Amino acid sequence: MTAVAPPQAPPEPTTGVRRREDTRFLCGQGEYLGDVQRPDLKHIAILRSPLAHARIRDVDVSGALTLPGVIGAFTGAELAADTGTFSHHLEAIPTLRQLTWSVLATDKVRFVGEPVAAVVADSRYIAEDALELIEVDYEELPAVNDAEAALQADAPQLYEDWGDNVFLYIPGAHGDTEAAFEAADGVLTERFTHHRIIGLPMEGHGAMGEFDPATGRLEMYVSTQIPHQLRTVVSEITGLSETKIRIVAPDMGGGFGNKIHMFREEVLVAVLAMRVRHPVVWRQDRTESLTASVHSRQQTHKVEVAYRNDGRVLGLRADIIADVGSPELYILGSGPAIVTTAIIPNCYDLQDYAFELRCVATNKAHMGGYRGYGQGQAVFLIERVLDLLGEKLGIDPVTMRRVNMIPDGQRPYITATGAVLDCGSFHDQLTDLLEAADYDGACRERDEAREEDRLVGVGLAQMVEATAPNIHALAGQFGGYEMAMLAVQPDGKVTVVVGTKSQGQSHETVFAKVAADELGISPDDVTVSDGDTGVLPYGTGTWGSRSAVMGGGAIIKAARQVREKMVAIAAGLLDAPADQITVSDGFFRLGEAAIPFAQIAAAAYLHTFLLPPGMDPGLSVIVGYDSFSTSPFPDERGKLNVSPTYATAAAAAVVEVDRATGVVSVKDLTILHDCGTVMDRVVLDGQIHGAVMQAVGQTFLEELHYDENGQPLTTTLLDYTIPTFGDVVEPKIVHRETPSDLIGGYRGAGEGAIIVTPVALAAAVHDALKPLGVPITQANLSPPRLRDLLRGHSAA
Amino acid sequence: MTGVRFSLNGEAAEVDVEPRELLLDTLRDRLAMTGTHAACEQGACGACTVLIDGNGVRSCLMFTVQVGGSEVRTIEGVGSPGSLHPIQQALSEHHGLQCGFCTPGIVLTALELFETDPHPSRQQIVEWMSGNLCRCTGYINIISALEALAGTAEARS
Repeated sequence: MTAVAPPQAPPEPTTGVRRREDTRFLCGQGEYLGDVQRPDLKHIAILRSPLAHARIRDVDVSGALTLPGVIGAFTGAELAADTGTFSHHLEAIPTLRQLTWSVLATDKVRFVGEPVAAVVADSRYIAEDALELIEVDYEELPAVNDAEAALQADAPQLYEDWGDNVFLYIPGAHGDTEAAFEAADGVLTERFTHHRIIGLPMEGHGAMGEFDPATGRLEMYVSTQIPHQLRTVVSEITGLSETKIRIVAPDMGGGFGNKIHMFREEVLVAVLAMRVRHPVVWRQDRTESLTASVHSRQQTHKVEVAYRNDGRVLGLRADIIADVGSPELYILGSGPAIVTTAIIPNCYDLQDYAFELRCVATNKAHMGGYRGYGQGQAVFLIERVLDLLGEKLGIDPVTMRRVNMIPDGQRPYITATGAVLDCGSFHDQLTDLLEAADYDGACRERDEAREEDRLVGVGLAQMVEATAPNIHALAGQFGGYEMAMLAVQPDGKVTVVVGTKSQGQSHETVFAKVAADELGISPDDVTVSDGDTGVLPYGTGTWGSRSAVMGGGAIIKAARQVREKMVAIAAGLLDAPADQITVSDGFFRLGEAAIPFAQIAAAAYLHTFLLPPGMDPGLSVIVGYDSFSTSPFPDERGKLNVSPTYATAAAAAVVEVDRATGVVSVKDLTILHDCGTVMDRVVLDGQIHGAVMQAVGQTFLEELHYDENGQPLTTTLLDYTIPTFGDVVEPKIVHRETPSDLIGGYRGAGEGAIIVTPVALAAAVHDALKPLGVPITQANLSPPRLRDLLRGHSAA
Repeated sequence: MTGVRFSLNGEAAEVDVEPRELLLDTLRDRLAMTGTHAACEQGACGACTVLIDGNGVRSCLMFTVQVGGSEVRTIEGVGSPGSLHPIQQALSEHHGLQCGFCTPGIVLTALELFETDPHPSRQQIVEWMSGNLCRCTGYINIISALEALAGTAEARS
């Protein structure tokens, strides 16, 4: 069932704080990684390569050891002697280059910023001083900073034994593209480019480690979205059992997908904690963040589209090159590029689709996860194709979409790549968008503006997002499931621990309500925590818009199990069958009789003689929750359904381009959003606001630059400019709620707006420049890039 | 090492620091004022903003030895869990914070604004706040919160 929510209402005034998290964050009392203190805490500073490509001949740390306050200084070779290595765990993919790498570089460096040596000292000041006393003898090698250049036969080789720089090659052929191209009225050929950006959580990465030799236990605090999986990797590399490792992800200053990897530096902290026998901390600084964490998005697409003259796309071939920088990152940094190939059919009935993906190693920092995770590039491709093809055929953007849309009624619809779409009506969603955005009115105003020689344009885009995915195909282990613990305590208050990890998404608040609703009590009586491997056996973390779907689902499952036991206790006390007991407002009820929730809790722990005969005491469960509908591997035809449900969104944008400066003003932006059941409207809209702003940043402001020698040029926030208050774009948000069939009906949220907005903006800019005939085929529409395009046009 | 005395949130503070030590590090590591956050350490993001004699300053760009004799105010001196400052209250009511990492800097920058002008316009708010970066909220709800507060009598307190 679908209900259209009313336009965005202002938040209701409250007397207390809106969220559980607010008080401590507002008062500066949060505990982020940098706030974790220990007596005798020592500081790690990391010496990083100043060269993009070099062989390491020798590293001499003896000078560093002479500095007072230095506890230790370590080379890669020294640590490698008794420490395990990272790998991608993807031996099953024959076209992936099998690599292992150590916590510090040993033989070669392949990007500026690669860690080479580490110092532990009494303070960060001393540790950084000591770095200057380390001598490294490098043999500099030619570098390559561009994926297409790296594919040339004479390009510098990052790994000599490969014979080329292709780290991962994945071909895919679905349906019969040859027949589609033969049947076509014509073929459209386009090339699309996506520039390199970074997710940039305001709090950088970091880790603290403390090892107790008496018990053999390692305790770590890490700013990570995936504490449990990180524990598995730390165990693998250090050799410690997972029973001896506790990893806590404390309050986090954002993550946005950048913190879903197991970074060398994080495991280095574990290794050094075990060596120096002091608690040690590494707090990434902003230059390290910009040059040596994870970058995103950079891809080039060549696409051939077989079409019919009525606008129908019959077949599509895509040649995708992803510039993955250094591939030495787990979980696989090429993951987003693989996801791009899977999502290209989007919400369109496109079964004849083939692709080739080449993930190319270059002398740049790692490519990795960032909100959207490759889906924005896919949606950019297909949405731009529809507009460009429509322009060629004289068919308007709305008709182009309707002609190609997955028809209503056919559910689940299985896409060319195997995604099992459970979405609502795409036609109705588009209708709602056009109405909410007053699309016809916007087009009329654009036409009037054109009469005045103003460059105003309107753009549309739609997206399907693979939410709550199973990560196994990209990690060689782990899954898409979630775990939760729920305990009703003797006083009737409830403790929930969940395996997701909030980084600002308000989980303490929204999950309390989810549990409370199932238990028939007030959210005030529920306390939610996350991010501690010492409390919950395992968890899958927060990424891929999965927390509501899988974390919420696990909590509901746990609450239902505990409620069932409480009902049985109440039934015993009321001497009635369990199916006659109802639960509401903190009472178990049978007609007029009512037993308080807390009284049942007390019976379970404090007065167990009241329990039905043979019933075990206590009211707690640990549950695992899986949808059982996702696949860990592609099938023999290369088809893979990674997600138990799919979220949808659509966007309409109106922009005006200043032809002198290349500055684009976003006049209007409407986001139509369907994430299934909405948990908390205000929190959800907050997620959309943030995603829209990041989309604005990636489209108009942000780009990471390297020079021809692989030297990074964007190393501070003065060079890498993210949006600020003056750049605000306030979207009109309209929700459809098409519940999924999963527990809770959630589809997942947080990423849809950053997937769909960039191409809606690009379409609008294209439309604005239509009188000049300047096509938009690039994601980067910053003023200098746009001026380049306009100049190129006027020179032609 | 140099001895430095100053007032911190109304109480006397005395530290012995190297001349190169940044106020940010002194506050966080020596004085346990961890609400002042290190986010860019290059003066670009405003997360480490504190008030020195009422003026907003980036504590990552200031040496501790420079604050001798001054009054330093950090987020710990603004509101408390039992009694939030109206700016903090407004940010919560309007969901003007998500991860909370930039929030202390936002609060202190806004505090200086409201102490300068209790009833700023939306445009003044946007201009005044634009040196503070937030990656979560898209700024919309922060602006709404400050705008709502600007229209009230309790704006200055």
